[in-house]
Amino acid sequence: MLSCKELVAHSSDYLDGQLSLRERLGVRAHLAMCRHCRRFIRQMKVTQGVLRKLPDAAIPELDVLAERLAEQRNQSRQD
Amino acid sequence: MSGNDVELLTRLLAGEQQAFRELVATYQGAMRAVAYAIVGSRNADEVVQDAWLAVVRNLEGFQQRSSLKTWLLTITANTAKTRLKHNRREVLLDDLPGPHGSVGGERFAADGHWQTPPNAWHEDSPEALLSEEELRQCLEKTLASLSEMQASVLLLRERQGLELEEICNLLELSLSNVRVLLHRARLKVFATLEHFEETGQC
Ligand SMILES: [Zn+2]
Repeated sequence: MLSCKELVAHSSDYLDGQLSLRERLGVRAHLAMCRHCRRFIRQMKVTQGVLRKLPDAAIPELDVLAERLAEQRNQSRQD
Repeated sequence: MSGNDVELLTRLLAGEQQAFRELVATYQGAMRAVAYAIVGSRNADEVVQDAWLAVVRNLEGFQQRSSLKTWLLTITANTAKTRLKHNRREVLLDDLPGPHGSVGGERFAADGHWQTPPNAWHEDSPEALLSEEELRQCLEKTLASLSEMQASVLLLRERQGLELEEICNLLELSLSNVRVLLHRARLKVFATLEHFEETGQC
């Protein structure tokens, strides 16, 4: 059976669906028995959620850039 | 291409400024992450600017076989690679220490079982965690401490939702490298959250 350390090493691949069926079943079997690793995987998922929901950095001069790009597009249409 | 892409493309081709605003607001973050991985932080902004100009120049010729996003990121990667053509920079795959460490060997006993298992967190929804201003700043520090490749792979996967294969192609990395980079980066972010939940501090 997988050790906790091995489970942690496989955790990203598990979350990304990168494990073979056999490996995935091994992870599931471990998780069914080990509450520490269940908590770890749950917290890894929270970590992913946090990254997804981090507010975006504002784009400096968004309007200036958009105006410039639109102008260029309009120029090339007239050529 | 999705219906949204088709609609946006029509407006872009018509030169509508608001459409360009939407395009930049939606995709510049992902473009920056790609540029950052290939040319580093110092030149990333310049590459993104150049990529936008290339996008406008090539708008007419955009083959609608791929999504707008894939097309934009490919142009960005190509712009970045052209810039590097003659002085290929060392790609940093190194594992720099995160400010709050990672989940390393010291967490496990000799038999591979947890020695210091994860504790319950006070908050376990992303929204509740992110409501703490201090934690948001702390995460920014952690992200800034990642190597350029680690940061980019993490952002492209978690924030931009790219498939691992897409990341490999854009950044010219092997799948195993992408998997390792992603895992190490996630563990560092995990360690920051864990530290914050345990101490209430960054
Ligand atoms: Zn375990």
